[in-house]
Amino acid sequence: MDVQLSDKSQVRLKGVRDGFWVTLDPSLPADYIQEELTRVFNQLQHLAFNSHVTLDMGGPEGRESIVEMLRAFLKSKFNVASVAVAPASPPPKEVPVNGEHGGDKSHKPDMSSVWMEHHSDALVIAGRVRSGQKITAQKHLVILGDVNPGSELIAGGDILIMGTLGGIALAGQPDNEAAIILAIGFKPIQIQIGGIIATEVPVSQRHTLEFARVDHGDIVVEDYIKTNPFGRLTWPEVR
Amino acid sequence: MDGKVIVITSGKGGVGKTTATACIGAALALENRQVAVVDMDIGLRNLDGGMGLENRIVFNVVDAAKGKCKIKQAAIKDRRIENLYLIPASQSDNKDALTPDIMVRLCKELRKEFDYVLLDCPAGIERGFENSVAPADEAVVVCTPEVSSVRDADRVIALLYARSITPRLIVNRIVPEMVENGDMLSHEDVVDVLSVELLGLVPLDNQVVISTNTGAPLVLQKDSEAGQSFRRIALRMEGQDIPIEIPQAQKSFWKKLGIIIGIGK
Ligand SMILES: Nc1ncnc2c1ncn2[C@@H]1O[C@H](COP(=O)(O)OP(=O)(O)OP(=O)(O)O)[C@@H](O)[C@H]1O
Ligand SMILES: [Mg+2]
Repeated sequence: MDVQLSDKSQVRLKGVRDGFWVTLDPSLPADYIQEELTRVFNQLQHLAFNSHVTLDMGGPEGRESIVEMLRAFLKSKFNVASVAVAPASPPPKEVPVNGEHGGDKSHKPDMSSVWMEHHSDALVIAGRVRSGQKITAQKHLVILGDVNPGSELIAGGDILIMGTLGGIALAGQPDNEAAIILAIGFKPIQIQIGGIIATEVPVSQRHTLEFARVDHGDIVVEDYIKTNPFGRLTWPEVR
Repeated sequence: MDGKVIVITSGKGGVGKTTATACIGAALALENRQVAVVDMDIGLRNLDGGMGLENRIVFNVVDAAKGKCKIKQAAIKDRRIENLYLIPASQSDNKDALTPDIMVRLCKELRKEFDYVLLDCPAGIERGFENSVAPADEAVVVCTPEVSSVRDADRVIALLYARSITPRLIVNRIVPEMVENGDMLSHEDVVDVLSVELLGLVPLDNQVVISTNTGAPLVLQKDSEAGQSFRRIALRMEGQDIPIEIPQAQKSFWKKLGIIIGIGK
């Protein structure tokens, strides 16, 4: 993971054993530091979540107020677990984030293992869901098959259907409006994302991959391939 | 004998279960099979209203199931078709008279005497459905090319699979002209959603109503398309490999005439 950002940046970040080491110049204006931190942490996406951050400002002396401010900022905005201040000594060697190969000469954390620390629940079902049947998933729901009219799918997260959707689909229950409903052949009776309900979904005649999402408080259905909604994400994200 | 017990069901009412039960029963009997059609509703009796069968009913399915009479006494022989017997429904409206267990026991007896036991299931998925499905080895689901009928058939199919019965499908009351014009679901649309084995396609046919009124068996009428469809369905149930015929739009009288006398080419 090459999270060491541009050398020109006055705020630099690298992955260390159990989190991130952030080097910054405390004499810079506070809002500039915040702006730069936002920029580098945004690129980390979920990896920042629950991580331990060490701020290296050339020693802890006399930095209490700015440390307090940045600690509150990082915790609230990026959900980091802790923010510590580095002693005046040099930073530890950069090591893989999973720590398994401590002292790896490549200085590159093992990105493929990083994902093993995260998990995202999905209930995966194969087969046809028939009228009168109801499937409920805590988080995401994946159906490998068709979903017939008269059936009902309910999920805390996304609903992904590798087949036609002809029934009722309720994603993001009860209040996650970031959830999506995806199907090949989008002919639902009714869909709901979070608390938003769409009863008159335009029936698609084509057998293409379409998805529904919430846009400004309304449910919109779009061509998935053309829209490529997650193609813009700069970093793979856990859903 | 070790006969098969087959339930004819649909979920939705009025789609042709009783018609199918009567026609398939008659067609199987014409193939020299011993057939009992069992009225789990009150439909078959209605179907036989015109043939003076009513006054021959002494015992019914509940009596036979509870051992109040011998099976032979409850099974009324059809007057025109050899080997075809009707076991009528109970007249009493006591809904608790039958249970799935009692039906399983009755069908065990019926299997010994008949090659086929066809159960004409009532509409819905309540008690009558449970009673009819419990003893069944096989199931035939009847539906019409209508959204609501397909929906109910789908539901019934799920319930049958839940009981480890693999259903087969009859699409009834097809109007080829309407399918051609896009005003009616095609049988492909129906099979796409239901995704079960197709047993046959039966067109809408006025002869069905006429036969109900006169009591003349539909399957004996060579000019009845529905009757002939049911005969082919019976042969498929017998294990014969007969291709499914898709009901075709009738050319109008004038068009036919035009072809014969050489105009309109
Ligand atoms: N192929 C057909 N062509 C024309 N009429 C038909 C056809 N099939 C059934 N019918 C008619 O439709 C009506 C309903 O048929 P039937 O009684 O067999 O349905 P059912 O499913 O047994 O109904 P119920 O649920 O009330 O028992 C009857 O009047 C019957 O004559
Ligand atoms: Mg009936």
